[in-house]
Amino acid sequence: MTRRDFSERDIHMALDGELPVDERAAYDAWLEANPEMKARSVRYVADRAALRAAFAGVLDEPVPARLKKIVFDEAPVETAASSSRWWRAAAAAAMLAIGGVGGYVAGIDNLGLEDPAEDQLAEQAIAAHLIYAAEQRHAVEVPASDKDHLQTWLSNRVGLKLVAPDLAAQGFQLVGGRLLPAGESKAAMLLYEDAKGERISLFVTAESAEKTKGTYGSGEDGPEAIYWLDKGYGCAVVGSLPRAQLTAVAKSAYSQLIAGLAS
Amino acid sequence: MDEKKAAILGEIPRLRRYARSLLRDRDSADDLVQDCLERALVRLDNWQTGDSPRRWLFTIMHHLFIDQMRKVNRRGEAAMLPLEAREAQAAPAEQVESIASREIIDALQAISPDRRAALVMVAIEGFSYAEAANILGVPAGTLMSRIARGRDELRGLLDDAARRRAIRIVEK
Repeated sequence: MTRRDFSERDIHMALDGELPVDERAAYDAWLEANPEMKARSVRYVADRAALRAAFAGVLDEPVPARLKKIVFDEAPVETAASSSRWWRAAAAAAMLAIGGVGGYVAGIDNLGLEDPAEDQLAEQAIAAHLIYAAEQRHAVEVPASDKDHLQTWLSNRVGLKLVAPDLAAQGFQLVGGRLLPAGESKAAMLLYEDAKGERISLFVTAESAEKTKGTYGSGEDGPEAIYWLDKGYGCAVVGSLPRAQLTAVAKSAYSQLIAGLAS
Repeated sequence: MDEKKAAILGEIPRLRRYARSLLRDRDSADDLVQDCLERALVRLDNWQTGDSPRRWLFTIMHHLFIDQMRKVNRRGEAAMLPLEAREAQAAPAEQVESIASREIIDALQAISPDRRAALVMVAIEGFSYAEAANILGVPAGTLMSRIARGRDELRGLLDDAARRRAIRIVEK
């Protein structure tokens, strides 16, 4: 029998039939010894049964004639218009994703599908966060105690009317900010910290021609960026918070930045 | 009828089930299957004999799905919506679902498309990790992480739904 430490990952593997047979007995023993993990396993088993039951009926439905017809038709043609038919449902599905998570598109992260412009913004923002959020003494160029100067300076350099959002309601205090290169232009980075020392950053550039938003992950366990681009500016909120919390921060930052830009 | 077409025909029920789990609405799901079949028949020559028709067709359909989700994402269709919006989305009338089924179908729709696809591939369609990773075109580690996060997210949403139901009962 193989001896090794098991983890939550093994619960998924066992459930999906991916756990090697010779590890099964040790896994079962581990599960018995860990009531919390066992409870989790039981819930996942039940969820899978419910999922299967919810869609089982589809297999028994008669195949619609229009689908059969495609296969039987002699000369198949790929119609450009066809793919747009279910587009609205996909849009609805995406909106549902938001309903569930309570924020932006809980998106197609880690797929490398995003537009280059937003890729760049998110990647620059994540890179800046990784470097400066880890700095204790030199995280910012201008501290929050000099907030008025910070806002004026960054606004002038970046070319936007920048107001540092107040994120106290989300538990974050402004640490300060710095000026960064962003492609051929400049970006402002604002760093925030909560009582536990957890840091998030806002990354704002004046360069954007398109309008979009989404999320972007740097990797499986790295920080995540929630970004939006609008005419004339792009912004990303970066942090390693749970998605719902990061979304709440992003929403608040978004509305305050918008209000600031318009003021 | 040639063998290839017969094999494709035999996969339609499974394709419909996968599409339904991705899109929920029956007509939209069948539209996706239709697109998939149209594309498959144009590219019949790309399908190497010996290769599983199921894997080939699922790969085509997954790409169609992801392409569309990407467009939706880019168009910024998905603006911020309050939680209640999900409940306002009426289920198609002809679909008779038990409360439990509706809840889990709602929850499945609410998780991110890539996690949804990974979870459904393995948990409903019964593909192995290796097969699912191949169809979705991601490394096995990414697939596993999506499955784990997907399950976790799904459970969280079901817990939320149960809580909301409990609150409503109390309010009555």
